[in-house]
Amino acid sequence: MASTRPTRTGSNRFLPPDPRVESPYRFTPQLALRIAIMGAVALAVFGALFFRLWALQVLSGPQYLQAALDNQLRSVRIEAPRGQILDRNGNELVTNIPGTAVVLYPADLPKTYAAWLDELQRLSKVMRVPLTPMLRDIRRRGNDPITPVVVKETVKKTARINYLLEHSEDFPGVHVTDTYIRGYPHGSIGAQVLGYVNEISAEQLKQLQRKGYAAGDKIGEAGVEASYDAYLRGRAGLAQLRVDSMGRPRSQLLEKRRPAPGDSIKLTLDLGLQRAAEDALNYGINKARLNGEWAARGGAIVALNPNDGSILAMASNPTYEPKLYTGHVSAQRLRNAGLAPSTAEAANFPSLNRAISGVYPAGSTFKPVTALAALETRVITPSSILPCTGSYTVYKEDGSGQVAQVFYNWDKFASSQMNLPTAIAASCDTFFYQLGYSFYKEPPSAGHPLQAWAAKFGIGRRTGVDLGPESAGLLPTPEWRQRTFTRKTDPGNWQIDRLWKPGDSIQLTIGQKDLLVTPLQMARFYALIANNGRLVRPHIVEDVQQGGNNRGSQARIIHRFTAPPAQPVGLDPTYLAAVQDGLVMATHEGYGTSTGVFGSFPVTIAGKTGTAEKLVPGIPTDKTDQSWWCGYGPAGTGERPSLVVCALIENGGHGGDAAAPAALKVFESYFHKHVGATGPVYSD
Amino acid sequence: MIEAVNTRARGLRPHRVEHVGLAAAVRRLDWLLLGAVGGLLGFGLWAIGGITAHDIPGNTDYFFTRQVVYAVIGCIGLVTALFVDPDYYRRFRQPIFIGTAGVMVLVLLAGTVSRHSKRWLDIGFFRFQPSEFGKLLFVLFLAGFLADRARRIGETRTVVEAIALGSVPILLVFVQPDVGTAMVYAAALAAVLFVSGVRWVHMAVLGAATVALALMVLWILPAAGVHVLKPYQEQRLTHFTHPDRDPAGATYNVRQSINAVGAGGVRGRGEQGATQTNLNFLPEHATDFAFASLAEQRGFVGVSVLLLLYLLVVWRGLKVIAIARDAFSAIAAGGIVFAFLFQVFVNVGMNIGIAPVTGIPLPFVSVGGSALIANLVAIGVLQAIHVRGAARPKAYR
Repeated sequence: MASTRPTRTGSNRFLPPDPRVESPYRFTPQLALRIAIMGAVALAVFGALFFRLWALQVLSGPQYLQAALDNQLRSVRIEAPRGQILDRNGNELVTNIPGTAVVLYPADLPKTYAAWLDELQRLSKVMRVPLTPMLRDIRRRGNDPITPVVVKETVKKTARINYLLEHSEDFPGVHVTDTYIRGYPHGSIGAQVLGYVNEISAEQLKQLQRKGYAAGDKIGEAGVEASYDAYLRGRAGLAQLRVDSMGRPRSQLLEKRRPAPGDSIKLTLDLGLQRAAEDALNYGINKARLNGEWAARGGAIVALNPNDGSILAMASNPTYEPKLYTGHVSAQRLRNAGLAPSTAEAANFPSLNRAISGVYPAGSTFKPVTALAALETRVITPSSILPCTGSYTVYKEDGSGQVAQVFYNWDKFASSQMNLPTAIAASCDTFFYQLGYSFYKEPPSAGHPLQAWAAKFGIGRRTGVDLGPESAGLLPTPEWRQRTFTRKTDPGNWQIDRLWKPGDSIQLTIGQKDLLVTPLQMARFYALIANNGRLVRPHIVEDVQQGGNNRGSQARIIHRFTAPPAQPVGLDPTYLAAVQDGLVMATHEGYGTSTGVFGSFPVTIAGKTGTAEKLVPGIPTDKTDQSWWCGYGPAGTGERPSLVVCALIENGGHGGDAAAPAALKVFESYFHKHVGATGPVYSD
Repeated sequence: MIEAVNTRARGLRPHRVEHVGLAAAVRRLDWLLLGAVGGLLGFGLWAIGGITAHDIPGNTDYFFTRQVVYAVIGCIGLVTALFVDPDYYRRFRQPIFIGTAGVMVLVLLAGTVSRHSKRWLDIGFFRFQPSEFGKLLFVLFLAGFLADRARRIGETRTVVEAIALGSVPILLVFVQPDVGTAMVYAAALAAVLFVSGVRWVHMAVLGAATVALALMVLWILPAAGVHVLKPYQEQRLTHFTHPDRDPAGATYNVRQSINAVGAGGVRGRGEQGATQTNLNFLPEHATDFAFASLAEQRGFVGVSVLLLLYLLVVWRGLKVIAIARDAFSAIAAGGIVFAFLFQVFVNVGMNIGIAPVTGIPLPFVSVGGSALIANLVAIGVLQAIHVRGAARPKAYR
């Protein structure tokens, strides 16, 4: 290995070095320098390490200590028990059932995809929860790995949950926590009014974050649950849990802030009457179907106290079980119940609260509006006699004497002279057509008296009820036609359609053509008739209570909702009396349109039938009459009416055939009195 | 043939093996170095006892016991090395080289795979990591090679040959893959070249070449789409400069490690309170991240003691270079000391976020028999050189 080549270094020697001997080893200054350099490097290295350690441990130690503490503490929101919803007598309509939730912290799931999927599959098998919605929920969490995904909520701690608890080491990121599940002791009773509770959506969260809502919270999605969510939800508590790096709990929950239970809401609703109204609605629909109105498959009934506007019953059909939204919400079951957008139409929109959101032409139930407006505008007097004929002809306005249009009475053989109450009782269309033509002839300076009065009565306006979403309906005016029919929206006929024609005024008098109202608007108007001319604000919540529960402790009322006092609309009492007379006659005189239904009822009921033609796509027009009945009682002389009922059966045919019998059922329940037998009905 | 003149000069004596008796050995030991190593060994065992106390439920001493056994084996190795004249290593450097390279090839062929890397040979009761012992052997055969070429150390050819020879084990370790150990080998190669007296200009060229290579591997080639390293290796090597870039992935370890170190504060959080370690937030806390775990449990005070002990070992090691009997001993000592320094720096540095994350154990602390035994034997070699060296550095005469 050693070289035999002579070297020129060491020139002070005579001979080349002997390869067999080692060159002399000396500690040269060169080596000393290099050792010194290595020493300097070593000092620099240790200096750097010390410097950095000083910075980390001594200078920033407290911050890192806090970070380490945060690392292992997981903040957990403790769900606050949601407030109950009670009826006016304190009956529980919606309760809370303590339950158990299996939740999943996506951040703590295994990091490799295979193990991640494996755990979810095992969880899915153990909890009998389909995998796909679970994956979707986790994906929806996306950028928020801290908020748990609810896998399942159950009332009972089942064997499956015990299995999870025992094998928690195999399910990192899966926790079992306490929760509350909404309970509906009366099933679907009042479903649309009460609403339901669901996990807050991303869009809602974006809007409500500042109000203290957090991801994973439950929020009222409809009805009272939604409009009074702020009271019902309470305030979530906060707890901390020590976890290891795999997210497995290593300590009990340490409570930092107790959850504040939500307040209870007491409704004005009367459970018994609500049930009666829903049964009545079913009865009315079935009756309509027996009458051959095969398209009848929905409706609404509103029962109001006419004096303060409190809603005693509000039924809407078809309906649903709010229970479907508890526990783990199954998309499949929602679809089957018609609660998913894809199936809602086929099931005729069961989640729609038709009493406040459904809009229909009012039909003859609108005639009292026309009557009052005509009296107030002095178009007629209570004793004015007008002919009631089979048809009413409008001639062209150019004086040519040519017929412009003929409007028919529902009873084409009518031929008599009558005053206003009789016209209301017999529901004579042609009588009101004449009023309509008079309204049409009113000079523009008079405004539009019919519409002006209708608006004062709350027609085509939101009632302001504390439920949502409420529809305004539509009260057509000449201005509305101008606005609505433009070159753009109606390219073919806009120049004609935008004009307000005699037919518009004439049809409006009997609540037809463009007019759209909600059942609640009509109930409010009939309340106005019943309470002698005051417009009430309908409301469903009586008060907010704290602490009261079924453990017997006394509830404390923390907020009472007093509806604004009913506002007089400025009606002349004699005019009102004429209309009230007409409504009593309508249920008691031989020619009254619902005498056959209410005539023999022990309590005097006043009310008006309505049969409103509506175009419904896919159903022949002779099967699309909206069956109405609105009225109140007791309406005897000197009696003060205490209940207004407005019933609507979609496509139910004549008002006296379906809606009036349904309304009667509500009165029967309210007054605890029954009709022996109902007579034949001859009505519009 | 004319007798060489001046053959009685000290340096021209042929090599001879010095047999050092027990009494002489005890007398001439570097007691300070031995004390520092003893301190490190004790401190390391104490530290690992605390660090791993919660790792095996129900058996708090599992790792501690094993580590004590390795320490005993290592001490026997140390004493054995003390009585082996270092010149044997020079003479048998060829078998050493071939043996080392052969075992490393065997690892690649029949090694045990753990965490994507083939580093271990399973020999029944013990998983043996040849690359740890290879560090010492690598230094010894390179030192022998360079010592025999002491006169021609200034020639480029010698340097190139040494680098070519050294590249064989470096590459064998690199493909395991074990980038960290390959880096330690490279550092040792640089150290032996430096101590053996390679010209400054060559050192400068080597330094520049290393920088260029690092840039190529980490930056230019990946940018061009050629990946010499696996993506995770690249990320670990580069991401330590931006620990917040990928908190869940490549820099998770570093973040948790820095957090653990900082949380330790001045006095430490103790065995029970060290949540980063005990709740497993700190990964690999018995091996690669043992330092962070120690820092969390024992605080700035504890790690200062450890670092000062390391500094003491390095200082005494540098002294061993100076008093070495011959070029081979000096070069070998230089390689051993610098490799040790490099390991301490890279391991502690990665634990506190100032060095890339590579799988280098912390000498005398990290759990692992091979490293502990190899380090103790290396100290034995240093002591053997010291025992046979001059009492004080021999001045140029």
